[in-house]
Amino acid sequence: MREPSLFGHEPDRAMGDMLRQALDGPDSEAFVARVRLAIGQAGRETSWDVLGRWAPAGLVAAGVAAAFVWMLLQPAADPRDSGSMLASAPVQMEVTPQQTESDVLTATLLEGR
Amino acid sequence: MELSLRTPDQTDTELAIAAVRGDGDAFGELVERYGLAARRVARAVLGAGDDADDAVQDGFIAAWRAIEQFDVARPFRPWLMRIVANAALDLVRRRKVRRAVAIPETVESKQISPDRATEDAIFRERFSAALNGLPERQRVAVVLFDAEGYGHAEIAEVLGVPEGTVRSYVFHARRALRQALGVYREEPDA
Repeated sequence: MREPSLFGHEPDRAMGDMLRQALDGPDSEAFVARVRLAIGQAGRETSWDVLGRWAPAGLVAAGVAAAFVWMLLQPAADPRDSGSMLASAPVQMEVTPQQTESDVLTATLLEGR
Repeated sequence: MELSLRTPDQTDTELAIAAVRGDGDAFGELVERYGLAARRVARAVLGAGDDADDAVQDGFIAAWRAIEQFDVARPFRPWLMRIVANAALDLVRRRKVRRAVAIPETVESKQISPDRATEDAIFRERFSAALNGLPERQRVAVVLFDAEGYGHAEIAEVLGVPEGTVRSYVFHARRALRQALGVYREEPDA
């Protein structure tokens, strides 16, 4: 075999011939006919088929997503709940010093009595 | 019923466009054109056996089902061959999982006695053994380049690698194949 450059940009015909000899299978026509028949039997998948295959999973995913969004929005939907949670801490801090002052005043008055 | 007339002059793109519109005969013509090349690629990856034929069939069926996704502005044969090559390479991966230690297909053939085989047969035998010894992607690259006449860019599209990698694959594959044949020439008594 003549040896063109290993880096050649053109196909090596001798190498190609040997590859085809090594790789050609038997009954070529029967093989192609078999593939054509299989394709005819397999039918074709339309976009609707693909959509239909993914629909159940898509519906479940959409349901989960909707439930998640609903859960996120739920606290904001009831202003009373959020108001009491936010207001509770400052109210406590404001009330506590007043109670202490009244206790001190009461104790002073009692001692003075 | 649509009457479709196929002529050899129709380009791959014309046939692919017809196939996208649902013309099964047009896709059948593409099977006629590329069926045997696809078979050679699959046999290069999987060896000569039913697995290779099954991979080609699976690949063509997958291509037919996905024909709507084919971009008619691009060449058809790399798109098709990529599907077929992937089907064959997937089968190799599954095979490797199935059996951790692969039995080389050349074991049996090496036992053929020289007096029974012609010189030409031994030559082909060594060539096949060297081919089977290459990594799968190198085999696909050298088959597509030297046997099927694909360009480096097309093979890069088939294998999903850069063109430079394809050149490297072809270089290494050719060198290994020629070395194997050179060993044969240096051993005329073998």
